[in-house]
Amino acid sequence: MYRERSILHFNVADFAVAVERVADSSLARRPLIIAPPAAARSVVFDMSEEAYQAGVQKGMFLNQATRLCREATVLQPRVELYRRAMAGFLKRVQYYSPQVEHGVEDGHLFVDVTGTHRLFGPAQDVGLRVRREVRDGLGINPIWTLAGNKLVAKVSSRLVKPVGEYIVAPGEEEVFLAPLQIGLLPGVYGKELRTMGELQISTIGQLAGLSPRQLMVVFGSRASWLHGASRGHDDSMVMGGVQEAMPVDHEHCFTPDTNDRQEVEAALATLIARVGSELRARGKAARRVGIWLRYSDGNHVVRQASVKEGTCSDFGLRRLAMDALQRAWLRRTRLRSIRLVCDRLHRQSPQLTLFPETSVETRRQEKLLGAMDAIRGRYGKRVIALGRQCPDEPEPDNTDVVFH
Amino acid sequence: MVPLRVRSSYSLLRATGSPAALCRLAVTLGYATLALTDRDNLYGLWSFLAACRREQLHPIVGAELSETEGDRVVTCLVKNIDGYRNLSLLLSKRHAGELDVEKDLGGHAEGLFLLGRDRELLEILHQQGVQVAADLGPRPTEAGRSLREWAKLRGVPAVATPDSALGKEEDQDLYLLLRAIAHNTSISRLGEVEPPEVQYVLEPPSVYRERFAVWPEVIGATERLAAECAFAGPAFGIIMPPWRHDHEGEAGRMLRLKAYQGACRRYGDDLGEPVVERLEHELRVIEEMGYSSYFLVVRDIVHRKGADGHRIKRRICGRGSGAASLVAYCLEITNVCPIKHNLYFERFLNPGRTDPPDIDVDFAWDERDTVLQEVLSDFAGHSAMVANHIMFQPRMAIRETAKAFGMPGSEISRLTKRLPWLADRNEGSLQQRLEQLPTLRDQDLSEPWPEILTLAARLIGIPRYLSVHPGGVVITPRPIREYVPVEYAAKGVPIIQWEKDGTEEAGLVKIDILGNRSLGVIRDAVKAVQRQGGELDEMHWNPEDDQRTRSGVARGTTMGCFYIESPAMRLLQQKAGSGDFEQLVIQSSIIRPAANEFVREYVRRLHGGAWQPLHPSVGDVLDETFGLMVYQEDVSRVAVAMAGFSHARADGLRKVMSKKDKELRLADYREQFYRGCGERNIGAEDIDRVWKMMMSFDGYSFCKPHSASYARVSYQAAYLKHHHPAEFMAAVISNQGGYYSTMAYVSEAKRLGLTILHPDVNRSNERWSGEKRTIRVGLQAIQGLSQKSMARIVTTREQRSFSDPVDFWSRVLPAEDEARALIHAGGMDSLDTGGNRTMLLWQWASFQRNRTLSATHTLFPVRLPEPPPLSPPDQRSRLMREYGVLGFLCDYHPMVLMGRLPGGLVKMVDAPRHVGRRIRCAGWLLTGKLVSTKTGEVMEFLTFEDDTGMLETTFFPEAYRRAAHILQSGRGYILTGIVEADYGALTLTVEQVSAIGEGARPRPGSAQL
Repeated sequence: MYRERSILHFNVADFAVAVERVADSSLARRPLIIAPPAAARSVVFDMSEEAYQAGVQKGMFLNQATRLCREATVLQPRVELYRRAMAGFLKRVQYYSPQVEHGVEDGHLFVDVTGTHRLFGPAQDVGLRVRREVRDGLGINPIWTLAGNKLVAKVSSRLVKPVGEYIVAPGEEEVFLAPLQIGLLPGVYGKELRTMGELQISTIGQLAGLSPRQLMVVFGSRASWLHGASRGHDDSMVMGGVQEAMPVDHEHCFTPDTNDRQEVEAALATLIARVGSELRARGKAARRVGIWLRYSDGNHVVRQASVKEGTCSDFGLRRLAMDALQRAWLRRTRLRSIRLVCDRLHRQSPQLTLFPETSVETRRQEKLLGAMDAIRGRYGKRVIALGRQCPDEPEPDNTDVVFH
Repeated sequence: MVPLRVRSSYSLLRATGSPAALCRLAVTLGYATLALTDRDNLYGLWSFLAACRREQLHPIVGAELSETEGDRVVTCLVKNIDGYRNLSLLLSKRHAGELDVEKDLGGHAEGLFLLGRDRELLEILHQQGVQVAADLGPRPTEAGRSLREWAKLRGVPAVATPDSALGKEEDQDLYLLLRAIAHNTSISRLGEVEPPEVQYVLEPPSVYRERFAVWPEVIGATERLAAECAFAGPAFGIIMPPWRHDHEGEAGRMLRLKAYQGACRRYGDDLGEPVVERLEHELRVIEEMGYSSYFLVVRDIVHRKGADGHRIKRRICGRGSGAASLVAYCLEITNVCPIKHNLYFERFLNPGRTDPPDIDVDFAWDERDTVLQEVLSDFAGHSAMVANHIMFQPRMAIRETAKAFGMPGSEISRLTKRLPWLADRNEGSLQQRLEQLPTLRDQDLSEPWPEILTLAARLIGIPRYLSVHPGGVVITPRPIREYVPVEYAAKGVPIIQWEKDGTEEAGLVKIDILGNRSLGVIRDAVKAVQRQGGELDEMHWNPEDDQRTRSGVARGTTMGCFYIESPAMRLLQQKAGSGDFEQLVIQSSIIRPAANEFVREYVRRLHGGAWQPLHPSVGDVLDETFGLMVYQEDVSRVAVAMAGFSHARADGLRKVMSKKDKELRLADYREQFYRGCGERNIGAEDIDRVWKMMMSFDGYSFCKPHSASYARVSYQAAYLKHHHPAEFMAAVISNQGGYYSTMAYVSEAKRLGLTILHPDVNRSNERWSGEKRTIRVGLQAIQGLSQKSMARIVTTREQRSFSDPVDFWSRVLPAEDEARALIHAGGMDSLDTGGNRTMLLWQWASFQRNRTLSATHTLFPVRLPEPPPLSPPDQRSRLMREYGVLGFLCDYHPMVLMGRLPGGLVKMVDAPRHVGRRIRCAGWLLTGKLVSTKTGEVMEFLTFEDDTGMLETTFFPEAYRRAAHILQSGRGYILTGIVEADYGALTLTVEQVSAIGEGARPRPGSAQL
């Protein structure tokens, strides 16, 4: 049975900036750049609208950014704080629906409130209420929009950015989208956007005016998606909660960027330790390890290594990771970040094999890791590490702001 | 102890010390003899020999020879000239990839001493009777012990060698950087590609003696071995290229015959007395000095005999002092009459001259490679091109070091692209010098740049690689490998291992065969004029006497004309206002760096200003140039007149000025000049003044014959421009490589009243074509259109014109980018009945899809489905795209793309009405030239244009400092400044400048979840 869906989209523009402004109200309305300031060659993590207008962009070198916007205040990113703020935000939303899809700490939330009418009243009331609660409780003022699917809700958010609200009634999606600039449509980027520009297709309505056959001529396999999207069709679900098979994924940013072998391997060791303990905590083993390298000039490389029998030991993960790194790291340009993604997870069998296939050494390693996990569990993550790891620096968090 | 194995930085990227520094070091350490043994080359031979002479060291010539495949290395030391020939041969073989150490070393070991560490190889060589020695390296080792025992057993000497690669102890990190550069990797990851090896520096004899106290005989053996190597460098004398039929006196007889025949063609059958007299004189000197065959060889090269026995007449321009020879003029190796223009033969050849003269010839740029190929194949095995030794310059040093440090390319370019100019002998560290550059005002030089720059500074001057000299060819009577090692450049031509100076020092006569764009321009323009029925008899073409041409030159309307199109030249012509050939010869010589004050003085004197000779003793020597030193030879003439130099010595002074590393030799001449003048009671102030004037010829100056030869080409170009502008401008743009961008030439064509027609697949040729008052854009202007596709368009069209877009696409089959570029450039407009480029793009996409779907070609013509109704692009988008693929606009000036301009702007064509007043105008930056003021500050002359005209501007140091970081060519600016006039030449002295079109940016949609 088809039922009309109600999807709410909440979005806090420049999330990190918004959180910082809550933490220190004197920062409101002043241009703000968030970047690790102490080190040379650090890059912008986020910036306020004022700084953006002055030419500052994410990923830009900090000293270039401060030259463009000399009056900006520079703050060190406090990822933990943003995560807590996001958690506080999330908590309020989750009260209304279990179906919440969100990013890590970027201020985006999709909430599926389909069928909650009897519990909480009409969806727009939920939107209003969440906004009020978040504003009063956290001091952040999110955009909220309501539509029948994620795509249209997101377009509405983009439309009213940086503050506001918007409701697209069911059945009005196409009319709503028609006059809007094609660039507002999520998922249309780069080459496609340029092609549309060349064909004088500047509004979503113009795109919607083309038949799938015609779209096929220019956009090939993307035609049917574009056709649907331009008319406001989107069947994708709001994916809530941590999925069973969700990959374990950690990233390390180099500040300053580096191409020093030792430094890169140390960072990788730290990531492995983190991923390893998370896998063991979840009782999973990974059959594939991916290394994502981002070079300072913006280029990306991804290489993966896989095994038949999954592993959650730091030592096994390291073998795979080093293999992938070997194949990924071919250029001499500096690295900006390294990301370690473990997927193809399977449950670790608690049952021991009758005839142990593992060597004495492996078993000793397992015991060692087990002991380390126990120590970390009791005294904190930073108290024990392998020698090759880089020392974890605690992030500054001397604020007394509490998000709950 | 004699150091027998020392590498210099000429062992490309394998060592750090220059030969000069190593010689210095050797002397300081107390050595009397030094061997230089670079890896697989003799690149540094001549600087090594010069340094040895300076330091009074006995040189041992040698080289390390490495296997092509494998890692065995043998050090070859030269005992005598036979050994030198063999080494040269072996090195050539090594570079040709033909070297088999076991076989070849045995066969070519005569006159050589071979040091090695590989016992097997030494054994083989020893059994073949080759003189070998065991190389024990710089310290006793286990491997050394067994090698020494083997040597004892065989009765072969064992020697200690420094095996050094470092110029000084602290060079360790520089060495690692060089290796990282060699492997394209970073210093921290070098270990992954190359096992780390300890590198040594040359140490004092006592150190080796102490270390080898256990085997004292290996130190003494070095001295015995060195004593056998008496060879102190090759001394060939002058090596002329051989003429085919050179028997006894045959060359002289033939040259006389050909010279007289040529004279009759040039001057008519009745040769006047001056011609005959001069010919006789020249022929006598040439014969006496043994240069007859040289002239004939050059003639064979320039006008080679075709298969049918007829000579192919090529359009050429003789450059250099050779243009002073009437014989050369009669042989049609040069193009200006030396009698008419007062060119002295002695400047080219005189009996006192000991160094070889060179005849340099320019060919049309696109014919040069053919000429070179002909020479190299006619004299195969006996000829090769001269090399250029490319050293790390500041820009390259910074770039390579930064890359080894992993800096992203864009960041490096941001720095290096703004490095306009770094004076060599400035004070302070590289970083301090960079920080003072106005163009780098915005540059961030924080970590890790300080470390990069410190290291990069030490890299400057170290040889990086060999490239090919632009045109120097050496031809030898015996196989060339006997004189000098030969290798192959990337594009496959053989090159000798020495550069110009070394070649000359060795006595090898070089012929310069150079490419010249303007000869191509004139050739194409003349052809176009003739094709359209215009008359132009080249044998009797005297453009310098044509009134319209002369007046054009006097007004400086010579953009596009060879050698006189730069802003500085055009301004000077306007100021001079004469349009005279003789004056143009002076003008093209007088403009050179460091001669600004002489230029001003020249204009003043030309317009009747009073002047005195340089010094009474100079007399009337410089009267022709108003008492100013203009030509290279003026330096020699003044040195003779004032300081009593001999002619040969004065010629030496002139020559040394154009050399690199001249400081030492120049000091000698300076001393003699001051002494000579002093003896003639000339005041110290006058001596200083004249010497300083002479020094302004440093590095970049011409002799009169050269200038005259070039001026002739300038006049030919100016003639064509003022009589046949469409054909000429089309040829200028087609041949590319002019002083200005294509866009600037297009603007100039529009100012000449010509119409620029869009490129058109049915009408455009590959090159631009001019006819009457129109120029049709050539397909070559469309960026991204490959050579192949252009050719296909033209040939396919010859069968049948294209009838519609689908016809075009299915017959030419362009690539995606090419098809779109053609549409955006307007090249398909004539095939499009609807006049809608959006529809064309759609049809193209449709055509492409159709093609991928039907893998096989159908017999029936392709029919595309009806496109949806799409609106044509608005004017602005259309022009933006057109500009994007063409780099210019056919119907408008690109300033229209810059949006609305503020009010109250003065058009450039109206600037003359505002002399002395402050104006504001909008201009597009075309080109610029940096100069340094007397006080060492940087200023810039920039050329701007708008849709009405061009304006030369001056940015004095303060204005330049403020604006330098925002100035880049190919965009628009608002300029405020004062219009100034100097002898009728107009310039704008800019006070303020701002870029047009910087506004608030719309913010794109936020990131996706």
